[in-house]
Amino acid sequence: MKPLANKKNNITCKEVMHHLCENLGEDLNSPKCAAIKNHLDNCENCQSYFKSIESTILFYKKYDVKLSEDGHKRLLDFLGLKE
Amino acid sequence: MDEKQLIEKAKQGDAAALTELVKRYEQTVYNFAFKICRDKERAEHTMQETFLSMVKSLHQFSGNSKLSTWLYTIVSNHCLMLARSKKNKNLTYLEDDDALVNNVHLHEWKVTPDKVTENNELREVLDKSIEKLPYDYRIIFILRDVEGFSTEETAKMTNLSVPAVKSRLHRARAFLRNELNETFGE
Repeated sequence: MKPLANKKNNITCKEVMHHLCENLGEDLNSPKCAAIKNHLDNCENCQSYFKSIESTILFYKKYDVKLSEDGHKRLLDFLGLKE
Repeated sequence: MDEKQLIEKAKQGDAAALTELVKRYEQTVYNFAFKICRDKERAEHTMQETFLSMVKSLHQFSGNSKLSTWLYTIVSNHCLMLARSKKNKNLTYLEDDDALVNNVHLHEWKVTPDKVTENNELREVLDKSIEKLPYDYRIIFILRDVEGFSTEETAKMTNLSVPAVKSRLHRARAFLRNELNETFGE
């Protein structure tokens, strides 16, 4: 188990994780985020957590379903429309 | 023909224009509805109801937003209504932030997202995990992270404040990550 606090910038892993979850994909240029990035560079725990959050999003992004031709026909019928 | 022209023609009762609009967005609406419902039959029903709402109220569509955004809003509302009418016992209540963000089991995951299309077992894990997430969190996660809308757009579509969207998104991400970690992080 890695240490929970990075004494250098005084931010705990838990705090980093909360903040990453909230800000992933958003502007990370605030001073707090700079400290977080620094922490992230030096903390394997948080790197691993960050990666798993990114993967979670990607898993659901890549999971698509296709509307069948029958489903398309049923939709037009339901709306009283024709091709 | 561009979308604006199609909408104008459809508003005047042009069935061909209306059909074209439906064809342009049916796949998007179906896919989004499935991502929330996790059930093909319910997704199809939601898609049909969404387009019926579109047909009925197209005359009210001002054109200030994109038609797709309007359709996403209708699907979200429809799914929320459906969820409230059928209380799902399997849903988890996400109250405890500290419990959600736990750093005890941090292992590299053995599966990668590029396997999603060909792996049914993996899809089942993804379905089961997100099915435990309450709908009002699920919709935020799908709109913001999966469909790529901004936090502000998501807030507008769901009639929530920006801080409320951020809070739900944060909890949804942490919850889903923990659920998947139980299978993928072993």
